[in-house]
Amino acid sequence: MIVGITIITVSILVNQVTKETFSKNNPGLDAVVGAKGSPLQLILSSIHHIDIPTGNISYKNARKIIKHPAIKSAIPISLGDNFQNFRIVGTNKSFLKLYKANLISGTAWSQPMQAVIGYNVSKITKLKINKFFVGSHGLIDTGDVHGEQPYKVVGVLKKTGTILDNLILTSLDSVWNLHSVTNKDKLEITSLLLKYKNKTSSFSFPRLINKGTNMQAASPSFEISKLLKLTGNAHRIVDYLSVLIMILSFLGILFTLLNNINERKYDLAVLRTLGFSRWKLFSIILSEGMIISILGSTIGLIFGYIVYESMYYFSIVGRSLELGQLSFLNDLFLIWIIVNIIAFITCLVPCIKVYKQNIRSTLLNS
Amino acid sequence: MLICEDISFDIDGQKLFSNINLNIKPQKDLLITGPSGVGKTTLLSILCGIQKPTTGKITYNSIDLYNLPENKIDEFRGKNLGVVFQNFNLINTFTVKQNLEIAVSAIDTKKSIPFFNILDRVGLANKSHIKVANLSIGEKQRLAVARAFVGDPKWVFCDEPTSSLDDKNANIIANLIKEESLRCKASLVLITHDSRIQTLIKFSKILKLGDE
Repeated sequence: MIVGITIITVSILVNQVTKETFSKNNPGLDAVVGAKGSPLQLILSSIHHIDIPTGNISYKNARKIIKHPAIKSAIPISLGDNFQNFRIVGTNKSFLKLYKANLISGTAWSQPMQAVIGYNVSKITKLKINKFFVGSHGLIDTGDVHGEQPYKVVGVLKKTGTILDNLILTSLDSVWNLHSVTNKDKLEITSLLLKYKNKTSSFSFPRLINKGTNMQAASPSFEISKLLKLTGNAHRIVDYLSVLIMILSFLGILFTLLNNINERKYDLAVLRTLGFSRWKLFSIILSEGMIISILGSTIGLIFGYIVYESMYYFSIVGRSLELGQLSFLNDLFLIWIIVNIIAFITCLVPCIKVYKQNIRSTLLNS
Repeated sequence: MLICEDISFDIDGQKLFSNINLNIKPQKDLLITGPSGVGKTTLLSILCGIQKPTTGKITYNSIDLYNLPENKIDEFRGKNLGVVFQNFNLINTFTVKQNLEIAVSAIDTKKSIPFFNILDRVGLANKSHIKVANLSIGEKQRLAVARAFVGDPKWVFCDEPTSSLDDKNANIIANLIKEESLRCKASLVLITHDSRIQTLIKFSKILKLGDE
């Protein structure tokens, strides 16, 4: 039972938290435009900051897209560096508005090499306002640092529960300066985060980009739903497995109790002769079964929660998917209730057997 | 007062006994004798509320026993009756003391039970932590007697308490039953085919079942 509940708890938590996290990380973006390659990779790298980018695109070409009449807003981002595995994102201040981010302290950047850090970045790296740090080349910490040009922290963001908590934001100029790109025609960005003026553009605009340019436009909702469908199948298999384990646990409780009362039927009959009523014995057997079930299901939930919390902890440390905070206690409580209701019904079988026991014949046969 | 009116019992349509009438006043004794197979143990089960009679009525101080709901019969037996079964009906996996404790927990009494005194009276004080399975027949019989009297019952029923014992142990058990009955001011109903019992205990009444 403990194993079954643990698996089902982790499965539910991860499944729901993943869905919630993917949903939270996307503040209503309609498309992402980036270098050609896997559209899912583009979405994961540009919005969820999990994967590596598909490549860079020309900022000159990107500006043309920004000015396109179908586009309501377009935010350029430029990736490539990190600090202690936290991604440094070159962008403009609209990025802060996009996530409705507020500052705990300091201000947004106003000149190159100034940075605003997310809540988790500040918490884990202990960076504070006016402190300097040096970015490393690449999206994971390789030790290849840009030591000659340190960033200065000018602002710390409030917790948002989104990927923003794990990012270091700076201006696009900072990224370009750091990589010594001076020729304006050769400026590059990683991707553009787009919102359409009209939802009907979601059909025509990607086609325009995908066929007419050397870039691609990918829809976050489409790509993520594809991903969730794939992972959903895996979750379903895990869920079926845990349900199977649960059924085996219930059968285990049933046969344990039946075997137990069969071995103790003489003792139970003796207890009746001593004055224990049928109901008293019924409740004793029921209590025994329910103690096993309640303990098993509670320990399972605790184990499941510990596994989930470990994953959550490693998700911060590993800067991968931000699983978010536990907000599914109701679902877990519901599962706990259902499991114990089924256990209660299962326990009734041996209890009824005890209730119907004929003490005289049991004592005579013993 | 225990009153039995027209008690009869059938097994598969065959009469085991019929029209048994008894009247036992408080603190009086009754000996029920008879050859094996005449229904002595069945009668004891009926009197204790373990086996419902085919016909008849049993009243304890105006309480019609078999008119009570089944759960209440169990509770009534626990609170008012002490039973020494022929095969003891002890819980073998429990210790001597645990067998007394479980009997007390059935009574649901709030008064503290002097287990040591009870075991001392039956000569088992130094064996309180020994499992019943490791006791001799005589010790088991003494424990069964101690358990029957642990809740200070008003009526005590003993089924063949001496039949499997030698003269010395039969004497010890008979005296023990008599002493404990007097201490609890209980009425004693003893069922046996052991003829030695009448020399060991003087009974106010004797009922003979079957032809002897």
